[in-house]
Amino acid sequence: MMKTLLTALFICCSLFLNAQTNVFLIGRTLGEKIIANGDTMRVFGFASNLSSHPPIPAPLIEANQGDSVHIDFWNVSQLHHHTIHLHGLDVNQANDGVPMLSFDVDHMEHGWYHFKAPHAGTYLYHCHVGSTLHLQAGMYGPVVIRPSDGSNTTWDGGYAFDTETMLFMSEFDTFWHSDSILDHEHDNGAVHDSLEIPRYTPDFFAINGLSDQQLEDTVELTSKTNYVNYFRLVNIGYCSNKVIFPGSLNAIIIDSDGRPLPNNVISDTVEIYPGERYGVLAESSTPVLDSIEVHYFDMMTGVLKDVQYVKVDIQIPNQVAELPKLNNLRLAPNPTELELKVTFDLIQPATIGFRVVSIDGRLIKSELVKRYLSGNQSISINTSNYSAGQYIISITDGTRVVSKQFVKK
Amino acid sequence: MECRVRKKSSKNKFYRVKSAFLSMVCFISFQAIFFANNIDQTLFVNAGQAYCVDGHQMAFKAFNSTGVFEQQNVQLSVGVGDTLSLSVINNDTIVHGFDVKGMLGLRDTILPGDTAQFVFSSADLGLFIYYDHLNYPNHAYMGLSGIIGVGINEQSFFWNIKDHQSEWNDSLAFGGVVDWLNYYPDYFTINGRSNPNINGDTTARVEGEIGDTILIFMANTGQAEHSIHFHGYHCEILYSTMSTSHIGRIKDTFPLKRLEGYVLRLVPDQVGEYPVHDHNLLSITGGGLYPFGMFLTILIQ
Repeated sequence: MMKTLLTALFICCSLFLNAQTNVFLIGRTLGEKIIANGDTMRVFGFASNLSSHPPIPAPLIEANQGDSVHIDFWNVSQLHHHTIHLHGLDVNQANDGVPMLSFDVDHMEHGWYHFKAPHAGTYLYHCHVGSTLHLQAGMYGPVVIRPSDGSNTTWDGGYAFDTETMLFMSEFDTFWHSDSILDHEHDNGAVHDSLEIPRYTPDFFAINGLSDQQLEDTVELTSKTNYVNYFRLVNIGYCSNKVIFPGSLNAIIIDSDGRPLPNNVISDTVEIYPGERYGVLAESSTPVLDSIEVHYFDMMTGVLKDVQYVKVDIQIPNQVAELPKLNNLRLAPNPTELELKVTFDLIQPATIGFRVVSIDGRLIKSELVKRYLSGNQSISINTSNYSAGQYIISITDGTRVVSKQFVKK
Repeated sequence: MECRVRKKSSKNKFYRVKSAFLSMVCFISFQAIFFANNIDQTLFVNAGQAYCVDGHQMAFKAFNSTGVFEQQNVQLSVGVGDTLSLSVINNDTIVHGFDVKGMLGLRDTILPGDTAQFVFSSADLGLFIYYDHLNYPNHAYMGLSGIIGVGINEQSFFWNIKDHQSEWNDSLAFGGVVDWLNYYPDYFTINGRSNPNINGDTTARVEGEIGDTILIFMANTGQAEHSIHFHGYHCEILYSTMSTSHIGRIKDTFPLKRLEGYVLRLVPDQVGEYPVHDHNLLSITGGGLYPFGMFLTILIQ
């Protein structure tokens, strides 16, 4: 009996010790992104498949503290070499992603990066080839290391939270996204590529890759009173940011760069510079309908360049989520080809609307459908004329929005 | 009974710790009083031409240790409690000033050819920025700003971070007027050098071994703001010129506002060569070319 228990314990320990996260990323340089004025901009980026444009920011890499993380990076980008630098993760030199000190990955080659997930916290990954150009082009994404048990706590023994929101700041200078700038020469064997860098005049200021109306339509904190809301703030742009929370959220800055602060800071304003990350807890005992302001400052002059807003809607629990009308959203088939069947449950009669956006933020379809009775309901969407790629469908009953991702083959 | 024993044990431990702490304080005080040094240093305000990474030249001024112009300001370093007696000789043709940010009573002006005397000391580990305060920020921007490190150890390194719009240096040298709201620097330096030449500066290029206690005295004496990112390691902030609340933070990226400085402690836990660079990636350029700006490497054997 004892022997069996010990064997079981050994197997459990082995599984625990050998927890492994595998990530597959594709480097692309012919991506397209719809920006806030409706124009299409060429981007570089990391994608998880070949059928869609690379999203900005790139897909989230997520692991638990202590996990072994293995990234298979496949470069499909014609002229360009790329790397993955694991920013803040303190990986060894071989996996650091700096071309002249580790390795770079040529077109149609694979590169493998390995690391053991360090302290729970917020980190980044980005290309380190011609970094000034390749980051602006879009080659960056977030890394979240969760506590050892994967729970909704900030770190092992840290603060428990109910909601989690990432605000990932950057800017776009659309001139830098022209072919003449992006298609730079690459000198094989050179210690560094020597690249001409144009003057930087950003014209779009982004959070999670979205600006202005795109941002307003997509990113918001929807929560309840007395919920603990954890914000992960990241700056990967070339401006400094000032993130200003509504005073009623009682913001507390608790961590930075993947480490707890020695002393928490009670402040509704967080200054965050390029490459930095901050963790902020926010909680309100009363309903809040307000905005988080994100200010963008020119680091050469200190001049304020832009302000973006993230909606905050905190309501008393019984008014929102404890009595949801809309539940159990399902999509089939997914991936889809000609038609997507959307099914959901209604607890009480409601007027249902839906919209479909592409992964790069382009509005594909928006429709106020009709009034439905309670019970199991469905909507069919003709996807035959959709381009292959990833899409997000959001359905609302007027008080609550539920979103899911689907793939068009 | 067990509780009592524990309590007693704990109390004894407290007394032991307290006693050890008091002994250490006494020892440090004793050291500071009886082993504090008086250091004499002469600084010359020199004007000349600085060579940029691409060979371009621009007007520049610096506090040097001799009357011969160098484009790197003197790095002053003293032990905790030491007294630094400074003679500052104005070798230039215009009036200059001397001030240490955060130290009251040191500020003075120096006429061309004159010498002014200053006495500096600090009872704690820290970093101070000395600079020409006249016509601020123009004189300091022209290069007249450096670092005083207090409490250096055998593995201390200095990063005096600057940025320049080279045309403006030439303009200001001849009494021109610039509009700082339109500043767009084209050269970014650490101790007067840019990548790849910075690694040739032994006072900047960190070299060490696993487990070493390495101190980095880092200050932004330029006009732009910077955000210095370490690959491979996190560092602990031992001292901040801006806020004591930053002390003790362990980070990989350190924002530097104008005239802001840190003392960082790096204890390497892995071997390798790792970059440190400004993560405002516009600052990794020199003369408009990547990557000839604020970028160097750390080498741990």
